[in-house]
Amino acid sequence: MASDRTGLRPPVNAKAPVEAPRPPIDLGRIAIYAVLFAGVLIAIGPFLWMISASFMTLSEVNLTRLLPENLLWENYATALRRANFLNIEVTSDPATGVLQSLGISGYIWNSIRITLITVTGSLLVCIPAAYAFARMNFIGRNFIFALFLSTMMIPGIVMLIPHLLTVIWLGRLSESLFGPAGAWFNNWPALTIPFFASVFNIFLLRQFFIQIPDDLWEAARIDGAGHPRFLVSVVLPLSKAPIMTIVTLGFIGSWNALMWPLLVTINDEWRPIAVGLSNFVTADTPGDLNLQMAASVITVIPILALYFVAQKQFTEGIAQTGIKS
Amino acid sequence: MLNTRRGRLFKENLTAYLFLAPAGILILLFGLFPVAFAFFVSLHRWRRFPDSYIGLANYEKALGNLGYILFFWLALLVLAVGLRVIRQLSKSLRRFELKRQVIPLLAGIVCGYAVLLAVDWFFKLIPVIMLIPRQVRGQNVSLELFMEKFGESFSNPGVYPAGNLMLAGFLAAAAALALAAWRFRSESCGAVIVRSGMATAALLSAVFLLRLTLDETNLAIAAARDSGESLPIWSQLVFVSAGIFLIASAYIIFQRGIRAQSNRRFALLVFSGLSLAVGGYLLMAEAPAALASADDDLLQGFWVTIMYAGGTVPVQLAIGLLLAYLLFQPIRFRSFFRMVYFIPYITPFVATSIVFRIIFDAGKTAPANRMLAIVGIEPQRWILERSSIGSLLGLPDFLAGPALALIVIMIYSTWTYIGYDAVIFLAGLGNISGELYEAARIDGANGWRIFRHITLPLLSPTIFFLSLVAIIGTFQAFTQIWILRTGAVGSKVNTASVYIFDELQNSNRYGYASSMAFVLFALILLMTLFQNRIMGRRVFYG
Repeated sequence: MASDRTGLRPPVNAKAPVEAPRPPIDLGRIAIYAVLFAGVLIAIGPFLWMISASFMTLSEVNLTRLLPENLLWENYATALRRANFLNIEVTSDPATGVLQSLGISGYIWNSIRITLITVTGSLLVCIPAAYAFARMNFIGRNFIFALFLSTMMIPGIVMLIPHLLTVIWLGRLSESLFGPAGAWFNNWPALTIPFFASVFNIFLLRQFFIQIPDDLWEAARIDGAGHPRFLVSVVLPLSKAPIMTIVTLGFIGSWNALMWPLLVTINDEWRPIAVGLSNFVTADTPGDLNLQMAASVITVIPILALYFVAQKQFTEGIAQTGIKS
Repeated sequence: MLNTRRGRLFKENLTAYLFLAPAGILILLFGLFPVAFAFFVSLHRWRRFPDSYIGLANYEKALGNLGYILFFWLALLVLAVGLRVIRQLSKSLRRFELKRQVIPLLAGIVCGYAVLLAVDWFFKLIPVIMLIPRQVRGQNVSLELFMEKFGESFSNPGVYPAGNLMLAGFLAAAAALALAAWRFRSESCGAVIVRSGMATAALLSAVFLLRLTLDETNLAIAAARDSGESLPIWSQLVFVSAGIFLIASAYIIFQRGIRAQSNRRFALLVFSGLSLAVGGYLLMAEAPAALASADDDLLQGFWVTIMYAGGTVPVQLAIGLLLAYLLFQPIRFRSFFRMVYFIPYITPFVATSIVFRIIFDAGKTAPANRMLAIVGIEPQRWILERSSIGSLLGLPDFLAGPALALIVIMIYSTWTYIGYDAVIFLAGLGNISGELYEAARIDGANGWRIFRHITLPLLSPTIFFLSLVAIIGTFQAFTQIWILRTGAVGSKVNTASVYIFDELQNSNRYGYASSMAFVLFALILLMTLFQNRIMGRRVFYG
């Protein structure tokens, strides 16, 4: 085990070979596993009960049964319908069966759209900026970088009002340019554009770009490539891990967003899933706990699926942000 | 031309700025400008659309007389920054002949003044522009109409003179800069220009803030006198400031006293203790009076935030460190554990908050109460309980502590962040070189001493980072409170952020909400600085 070299053995274990040649039971080790498994239980216990409760009848939830008597799959159908999570309307020509129109709506669809726009926009904006900070020399580089970083300190609540006013004003401007479709308020621009230039993403990418060896750049320059070319054909293919982290984080971020969407959406057309779920629980179905659990499970599943796919790079990426300065 | 060295440098600069442009514009628009704008809004009556300028009235409403006192301090802080820059400036001036520095110095002063003129113009223009959406509402919005209104706002009688002044200022600045660049090029020229510009801007802003505060204070006192009352802002300013000054100096003396080796140490300790007591007494006597007319809900919000931070941050860091330390031992399934611990942090807060809402329901058969029943404790009302934990345990009033409903939110928050802390601690532990442990073990150190004298000091940057993140996180906390609060609990669980959001969402008071947000911002900055001083000293960046 590689960790034996760097790792710190528990005191009991370290002394064990000297005092007793063959320890029958390693108590320290058992204690460690006991604590760690207790941690696992606490971490995922609420999820397990959430899944279990989502299949129960209401009275079973109220009595806190551990497992449902029958699996009530219809809870999910009801939750999907009542919470307006996902509606797919397929209209096809009754005579020929040819698909005529496909209408998708609902909070999940909204969140997916918002996520896609946010993540794409964020990558387009942050990658060049991070590259410039990491690999180019220009006047005022450190000053601008410090300025960018300082905005991370400002609490969101201070930004809320100016953002709202800016969004309303820019929305008016773009409405006069593009007509009603260009509105910002209660439309995708208000929900996505303010989050394109994420300082955290720029920081994450910069940390990675700095580590790319200079030899690669020298070789590319001799071959006649400039910075844009080098970025696209050498740096980006090497940066799958941080980009994956950013995509995952962006997904989680838009799935979590509650405060800002509460302010800038007034109907279901672009309202994301967190607002939908929150309304479903606090306003629509105050008593239907089993439906609330089903709706929560539906909300959690896409995030968990993404997490299990990307978990290795993602956890590494997050861990890196904590120790590099 | 682009093949010369200068040409290549120019091209590199240009490319870099092009790369930065999109991010820079967005960060300027949604990151930096909002802070100045929020401050500006907070000086106005502003309900969706700009109304009248009302000075510090919003701050007075939020914090009572302490609002004025805070602004005096802010002005003094800006003044201190300006003086500091001047000290640096005089250092770099002394190094060279003064004769050659006069023009750059003047250029810097003119530039600083021009920047302030631009800010002045900009914030005269902004309210006019902000009114455009209301003016064009109901009409068929076309680009022409919008642009026409936009153009008109520049020639608005309130804005136009300021614009001219700004243009004149920029022309003068450009001329001065050109003169400095042409005639007086030297090594220190750039530094002198930048520093004198910054000093000018800081000093003038300090003067502006002082005058604003003085005027507002006098107005408030005059208004109070007219209605036959007295408003002791001045005495409160003196007393509260003196109290804080005494406590600060007592703290410094205390620090010195601890470090001193001689017998003087004891005397110093006694002295610091005395001045601490006196300062504390002055503060205690006057601060409540200064806060008398403050917004009680906001004060409660701050108190809830402080309890929330105090109850979650140390607990989650301690448990996270414990788990990380155990994970770092040579065990199996490490990556499995790490993956599982991280799950609460990444799942949507709304969904997990809903589970906690059900677990900590008030019903007798709700999960939390069932578990209490196993231990033999009678059921609690959890998220519906507004009584404090202290009164439930039968403690005296001053040990009341947070409401039980807030405790549930704290448990939730701890549950969410433990895994994140553990993962980052684990990475920090991995960065400590194994040789140190090896050496310590050869020297005969046991497990606890290794942890205390090697792991903990070397981990201190990570602890510092995580506690900073956690504290800022508590000030930002919103989702869990939004979901877990119930009507029965009222405002007992509203942190300052949530209260500000309510004020914004329900009553559209943008100006007032901005002023409160700004006070919160000041508090966060203060705590961060404080934490930097206290913990920064103990952090070991090996």
